[in-house]
Amino acid sequence: MQTVLNPSMQEAADALIGNLLASEAFVRCQQAHARLNEDRHRQAHTLLEQLSQAQADLRKKQANSGVIQTEIDNLRTLQEQVQHNNVIMTYAQTQQEAVNFLREINDEISQLLGINFASFANHTTC
Amino acid sequence: MEDTVLEDIEIASPSMVKQAARDFAAALAETPQFKAFEQAAYAFRQNQAAQLALQAYQQKQQSLRALLMLNALSAEQHDELERLESAFITQPVVQKYFTAQAELATLCQALGDALSESIGLNYAAACGVSCCG
Repeated sequence: MQTVLNPSMQEAADALIGNLLASEAFVRCQQAHARLNEDRHRQAHTLLEQLSQAQADLRKKQANSGVIQTEIDNLRTLQEQVQHNNVIMTYAQTQQEAVNFLREINDEISQLLGINFASFANHTTC
Repeated sequence: MEDTVLEDIEIASPSMVKQAARDFAAALAETPQFKAFEQAAYAFRQNQAAQLALQAYQQKQQSLRALLMLNALSAEQHDELERLESAFITQPVVQKYFTAQAELATLCQALGDALSESIGLNYAAACGVSCCG
């Protein structure tokens, strides 16, 4: 069932979202993400997809105890390529900065409420 | 690292964003769900029977921690732990607290979802919250 927010709560949530998106950390992250998706950086995008696929394949094979050395070497090569790719590393760094800023904002909210807002907002339980 | 261009973009300063966060917290504090949770939490803290039941359950759990981790409790130990847990969670003040907590969590989850969807990051996960809080 969808939770209906009262108008003042909705307004405060919208204002927070607007401010977060206009913060330097998020603007930089959005710009880096847009750059990653530009056609001229298709190689970076492809590299990330290859890395993600290689990681998923390796996890599957680890579960079945069927990993071979060439696959581990392939993964390491992809990881090195990612670490040397400027566009990807810029995106990763700006995303980390956005996450750090979001944690500061959550601390601000939580301090006033006396509860960890993020814990209450979390859907998963043990 | 490539430089990003921030010229011609209106940036919200950290103090502006933090003010919006405080306004957000103030609006949340005024909701019926938050007020009910605060009242229930206060009643729970003040209720001696509930606190003693919690203490007894936690002490037993602590003393059996190693066996619990190994899933090696005897039937008697298992029954004793269940009895103490039941004695705790069936206290009316505790049930009210859990209900209020769940209702506040539903509201916070809706807010967290709205934030996550708009900012492109999973709010709870980004803030380092695991399934155990």
